[in-house]
Amino acid sequence: MLAPAQVIVARPRAGSALRSMLPWVLVAALALVMPHVVPGGFGLSLLCRMGIAIVFALSFNMLLGQGGMLDFGHAVFLGLGGFLAMHFMRLADAGWWLPLPLLPLAGAVGGLLAAIAAGWIATRRAGTAFAMITLGVAELVVAIVLLLPGTFGGEEGLSGDRSSGPRVLGFDFGTQLQAYHLIAAWAWGCALLMWLYTRTPLGRLANAVRDNAERVGFLGYNPARIRWLVFALSGLFAGVAGGLAALNDEIVTSGNMGPDASGGVLLMTFIGGIGTFWGPVVGAILITFLSVALSTVTDAWQLYSGLLFVAMVVWAPGGLSGIILAHAPLVRAGRLGRVVPGYLVCLPGLVLAVAGTVGLAELAFRLQAVRNGASPRPVFGIAVDPGSLLPWLVALALLLAGALLLRRTAPPARAAWQEASVASTAP
Amino acid sequence: MEQLALIVLNSLVYGLLLFMLSVGLTLIFGMMGVLNLAHASFYMLGAFLAYTVSIRLGFWAALVVVPVLVGGVGAVVERYGLRTVHKHGHVAELLFTFGLAYIIGEIVPLVWGRNPVPYRVPPELDFALFQIGANAYPAYRLFMMGVAIAMFLALFLALARTRLGLVVRAALTHPDMVGMLGHDVPKVFTLVFGAGCALAGLAGVIAGNAYTTEPGMARSLGAIVFAVVVMGGLGSIWGALIASLLIGFVQVGSISLDLPLGAVLTRLGVSIPSVMPDLWSISIARVAPVVPYLLLVLVLAVRPRGLMGTRSA
Amino acid sequence: MTALLVTGLHKAFGPTRIIQGIELSVAKGERHAVIGPNGAGKSTLFHLISGRLRADAGQVLLDGQDITGLPPHDIFNRGMARSFQVTSLFPKLSVFENLRAAAMRDGGCGLAFWRRLDGYAPLRQRAEDLLAMLGLDRRRDVLAGNLAYADQRALEIGVTVAGGAHTILLDEPTAGMSRAETERAVTLIRRVTEGRTLVMIEHDLGVVFDLADRISVLAEGRVIASGLPDQVRGDPAVRTAYLGAAAETLDA
Repeated sequence: MLAPAQVIVARPRAGSALRSMLPWVLVAALALVMPHVVPGGFGLSLLCRMGIAIVFALSFNMLLGQGGMLDFGHAVFLGLGGFLAMHFMRLADAGWWLPLPLLPLAGAVGGLLAAIAAGWIATRRAGTAFAMITLGVAELVVAIVLLLPGTFGGEEGLSGDRSSGPRVLGFDFGTQLQAYHLIAAWAWGCALLMWLYTRTPLGRLANAVRDNAERVGFLGYNPARIRWLVFALSGLFAGVAGGLAALNDEIVTSGNMGPDASGGVLLMTFIGGIGTFWGPVVGAILITFLSVALSTVTDAWQLYSGLLFVAMVVWAPGGLSGIILAHAPLVRAGRLGRVVPGYLVCLPGLVLAVAGTVGLAELAFRLQAVRNGASPRPVFGIAVDPGSLLPWLVALALLLAGALLLRRTAPPARAAWQEASVASTAP
Repeated sequence: MEQLALIVLNSLVYGLLLFMLSVGLTLIFGMMGVLNLAHASFYMLGAFLAYTVSIRLGFWAALVVVPVLVGGVGAVVERYGLRTVHKHGHVAELLFTFGLAYIIGEIVPLVWGRNPVPYRVPPELDFALFQIGANAYPAYRLFMMGVAIAMFLALFLALARTRLGLVVRAALTHPDMVGMLGHDVPKVFTLVFGAGCALAGLAGVIAGNAYTTEPGMARSLGAIVFAVVVMGGLGSIWGALIASLLIGFVQVGSISLDLPLGAVLTRLGVSIPSVMPDLWSISIARVAPVVPYLLLVLVLAVRPRGLMGTRSA
Repeated sequence: MTALLVTGLHKAFGPTRIIQGIELSVAKGERHAVIGPNGAGKSTLFHLISGRLRADAGQVLLDGQDITGLPPHDIFNRGMARSFQVTSLFPKLSVFENLRAAAMRDGGCGLAFWRRLDGYAPLRQRAEDLLAMLGLDRRRDVLAGNLAYADQRALEIGVTVAGGAHTILLDEPTAGMSRAETERAVTLIRRVTEGRTLVMIEHDLGVVFDLADRISVLAEGRVIASGLPDQVRGDPAVRTAYLGAAAETLDA
């Protein structure tokens, strides 16, 4: 459905088991080293959030990219797992012997149980109906959570203290650094398990169901049963992410499981690329970083990520990893040089269109600010009066010029890629 | 008694409004197989645009201009976005309309701010038409009903009596065949999508000032519209009408019921369970907004074709 | 021993009655062809037998067991597999993976998520063997969606038989093939259905008379003739069904 159309051949995963473990060893080493590369508490906090996002996005892609199931309410499993983990954290605060490193297991259980229940209803259907059921169930759960302040803490949620539980090997996990190592270890382990899952019979059958659910039935398996199992496992890992979030933030609220969070993981997974295992990892890292970095510079960053998302749905449905994968054969065949000129020619059009869009959005924000009495910040470093017509016309002109240029320069670039791609993958 | 009359009248208004919103959605799905997740967003866009247009040019100008504008946006979106996405399958289409809803949801507060805007009922229609007991029933509500009924009749006639309507109805069940008969099906799709969005925009124009116009209105109404469309059967206009009136009645009725949930059980002769005591003391009025989601899930799980659907979800 | 027994099958879609009382009997190990003019209901018959559609009335017995109304996966697990007229493969899986997936049920995989798929050696071996038999070994890693048409049809047959079913239903396996491709397909079908029961819908009468032990002719939702190829060939009702009432005048 959304795989890059030009991937003609699946590269078989030959080579020893040791060879395939190498990337994982490297990633583990990288994770250990990161705190020294990234300075300060802010950087560590960002890394922690990335780790949580990685687990969450990977669990989401078990459904979408690998199973063809679009789940609009995935954050529910993260949230419910988080709430269960938080309850255990509070019990640990109260003196029970529940060591913090095991807390994400509680998240796993919470996510798993919720996914079994929700999945029983949702996986009876496929496609659009499935997606709508997940939408309905998610909204139902959030509404019910808010109606039960005793269990879920109402509007303010539930909070706890991760450092007041029992010490493990002398650690109380109070510092961000210790929390980071715990989160990184769990994230690495979950990613490995989710990767191994793709090499199991169930993982392969999920792919088959994604491609052609009906045929799977005619091959002796009940496709709904497969979907249910995968849904449950996906919920389990989302629950772990929730447990990690509870651990990191020391608070869980209904906002963790709301439609914004579900929409967010969808965006980041898709932008990263649903056609590969590592695409969601890329998306999680990138979007987490941008959300933090851009939100200091502009108020419109959510609009930008939404626009990026839609642009990718239309023109690059394989996401960033899909784009990279589509160019890998060219690199191997040494034909990358054939397409680079075409891309460079497209660049001015792209820059103008982006500048125009950003200009319009930023002007709109400045206009709002002026209406509320504040003085407007400069756009792209230029002081502008959002009340006057000129900046608007300039931004609109930039956008239109960029769009027209792209319209002219994109087809030849695409044609060049197509030609180079076919030449590089001819069997 | 007056309470009941009020509820019935309000349900009728709300139900007809839901119908105006859902008929476009069900036509789009019936014909193109696309569930337009951004449908309620076009409704919201219509309401906000109507606000802006009405303070410059008056309400009546807005009534004419805004649906055309919103329909135009819908047509452009279909032509340059959705049309390309069709070939990637239903999940891709859902993702596209989801992204669209997301974007519109960001643009509206960007342009109009995060607070409700003072979109008012026009003074010509802002009077009490008759009295029900102690309450004065606003004339504007009747105007809303009138517009909805007129729209239904116009749609019915257009589909039943015109050639274009015939093509659209045929394409509702056999899009491929219609294409092979020489009709420009992509163009028909663009037209239907645009018309559906225009209807949503019209609903926004007439409802935005009766209910509040604020950036969250798409989300709160969205699920109800999906529930209506799914219940009525995707692709069925009569089904949409029946389901709208039904759900309208359930919604309005339950919001005015300030009884705790436990009272329902006692009425049925069942004793209130002791587990989760919070739950049973909640008033039905507070639970009411949740009911559409429940209906959505139940209908999809049990009978995805709905009451009168032509195509299963 | 009757492998497949169909009695009194009826199916209507709204007011249109597609299947109007079909009786069919296929012996174990037999190669049975189902032929008939377009619109006779041949594919619908397959859908009813294989569980894709629910019959309005009638019964289907597989090896004496009643499979009427069972879902497709249950029917498969009782030993019947079918192919599709419109190729129904897994486009984003490679040729090898398609075959392996098709053999998984029989290979004892279940829905395991705690073992590596590559660890099931017999499963891999069967997929490799089938790959060779289909002549697709050089296309091993090509994604099924990118195969040439004839290769796709070959893979379609491969996927159907990979699961070790004892009764195979093939729906127009040679549709759209050239002369040479059809000959290769016939050789393939003969090999892979060795020792199994085969029921085959076919339009290519050359293939039919080459492969079939017995033939049944379907017209307007009923079996109008059934028997040995020569019997059916000479049956006047069959000629009328194919050529219309004018067939009688052609003879005169």
